[in-house]
Amino acid sequence: MSLSLEALKPGDLVAERVFGPITGDMLVAYAEASGDSNPLHLDRDIARKSGFDDVIIHGMLGMALLGNLLTDAFPQDNLKRFSSRFVSIMPVESIILCRAEMVEKSATAVVLKLEASIDGTDKTVITGSADLSLPVAS
Amino acid sequence: MTEDNYVGYEYPTYDFTVTEESLNRFMVAIGRQPSSATTPVAPPTYQKVIEGKGDSSRKILENLGIDLKRVLHAEQEFDYLEPITAGDRLEVSRRVSDHYFKKNGTREFLVVESEIRRALLPQILVGRSRQVLILRQI
Repeated sequence: MSLSLEALKPGDLVAERVFGPITGDMLVAYAEASGDSNPLHLDRDIARKSGFDDVIIHGMLGMALLGNLLTDAFPQDNLKRFSSRFVSIMPVESIILCRAEMVEKSATAVVLKLEASIDGTDKTVITGSADLSLPVAS
Repeated sequence: MTEDNYVGYEYPTYDFTVTEESLNRFMVAIGRQPSSATTPVAPPTYQKVIEGKGDSSRKILENLGIDLKRVLHAEQEFDYLEPITAGDRLEVSRRVSDHYFKKNGTREFLVVESEIRRALLPQILVGRSRQVLILRQI
């Protein structure tokens, strides 16, 4: 599935999707698959000692969800750069709303602004950017 | 090691072989289906798994004498030069590229850059990454 980027212009919403709720079991699976065994994501007692109510979602899992949004919308070959800033923590059981908006477009490239937020709130958890090459491979 | 010497620190180069099992486990953990392709392509954030092999991020901090409890992952950026697929034999090099303070010296940052190359000659660069860590005062 690939979008017709030709029809989109700066300011347009390119893709939007919710993921989750992200459960504790999913954090265990992500820790095992990624090798990130930080106890803040796995051990409620340690998370509480660090000042959180419960375990928190890996920032990199949040970034992976933004990545899913991109690879659902475009062939991965077109993705040249992908960045994220982790601006606030994501509590376990959160439903994450991921959005991509076009900010720049030239004959050979597109820049998207990315945002992940806690669904149903205006709390942004990740901001990011993606650079894609044009034309989009069919 | 004192903080004056952080910049330029190089973690020993290591090899990473991409297996179908590792890729599929990661795909499932980020909410994707296992790939049915004969040579599955690594999703965009799989580079973090490659550069995190053997808890390398934790070891870099330990080798610099930085207490892990101070560390928060603030930013992550990936550059994609070549697709990474099952069966690839890769070589990973990681170094501390920057260390700086902001907000009148109250916020401390460390930047770790990584390069992923093909292990076989000519060692083509397939991916680059840049990770920014916040070092909290505790």
